[in-house]
Amino acid sequence: MKRCLIVDDSRVVRKVASRIVGDLRFDVVEAGDGAEALNLCREAMPDAVLLDWNMPVMNGLDFLRALRREPGGAKPVIVFCSTENDADHISEALRAGADEFIMKPFDADIIQSKFVEAGLV
Amino acid sequence: MIESTFQEFADLARRVSGQTFAPGKAYLIVARLQPIARREGFATLEDLAACLKARPNPVFENEIAAALVSKRTEFFRDRATLARIVSDVLPVAAETPARSKLRVWVAGGGPGQEAFSLVMLLNEARPVALEDIPIDILSTDLSKAATERARSGAFGHFEVQKGLSIHRLLANFTRQDDGQWRVNDELRRQISFRQHNLLEDMEGLGEFDVVLCRNVLGDMVESARAHVLKALSARLAPGGHVFFGDEETGVAGLGAGPLEASEIFQGGFKARRSSAVQAA
Repeated sequence: MKRCLIVDDSRVVRKVASRIVGDLRFDVVEAGDGAEALNLCREAMPDAVLLDWNMPVMNGLDFLRALRREPGGAKPVIVFCSTENDADHISEALRAGADEFIMKPFDADIIQSKFVEAGLV
Repeated sequence: MIESTFQEFADLARRVSGQTFAPGKAYLIVARLQPIARREGFATLEDLAACLKARPNPVFENEIAAALVSKRTEFFRDRATLARIVSDVLPVAAETPARSKLRVWVAGGGPGQEAFSLVMLLNEARPVALEDIPIDILSTDLSKAATERARSGAFGHFEVQKGLSIHRLLANFTRQDDGQWRVNDELRRQISFRQHNLLEDMEGLGEFDVVLCRNVLGDMVESARAHVLKALSARLAPGGHVFFGDEETGVAGLGAGPLEASEIFQGGFKARRSSAVQAA
């Protein structure tokens, strides 16, 4: 079973996203900020990361740049998930190494569609 | 909604668009017409029906029939079929001697996702065989509102996140101040959008190498479907193809398997494998 790390400082968003991603037959791991997520990745690289942008301690963009420099850090498919959804922010996320981008708010259909686009399902 | 009102709207749908409603589907009529009734100031659908009866109005009836049709679509739906049209079907059509251009018709194209998807594919990877030949794309729909929306090319937050990769979104759309995403001009210029009812005369539209009529005919009463199939096939250029929805293969007249069966007839009635069409 593929593993997906869900990174968001909102417990509610993590919970909703976990259920949706779980329905897509992923094992789900959760982190509340980028630093926690990076530690989890060092223990075991996930197949996918659903990643919020604005978070305390370490934001999504900083996490992404750090992850891509880690050994094995090129492997996870990164799906950004943010309310920062103008073209400039989206382009910045893609340049930093994101594979897909979900504009919040999302629903189950959007997550599924984006996971399909990213080749995850 | 009382039974006689259901019957009146079901009759209107059948007459205007050929759509048929099974007896248990009254709730669909309620859900789809409630917004119009409210907007027009009718307290109930009974009042709306009474008004239509007392004061027949073809434009309003057409709007109601269009609201009752509920084609749900998304960008790149049935994408393998779209890819095949671009990579195989159109290049073969382009080889026909003396062809100065190719024509594609999206019949029942709603607000335009199918036509826009096709144009995106053509722009991303235009086969060599299509490099020197212009391709006209026409997208028509019963609904005036859908046709106007297609012309505007504006899509909402949820629409642009279903079927579209973020790369395609950024490459082909521009975000508007109101949060909607608008298809870029150079794509919109490649498509003509027109309001058209498939039950009405279509000879004036000319001939087409490819017709996409996907997830449109499945809800039609059989006589209307047979009529449209015959009329569509008469619009095909020699060697032309019609494509139906990938999920419509069980519908009488629309073929019995995926992909190859969805191109069920070529030029007139030289059917590959649909006896239903030949009988029509």
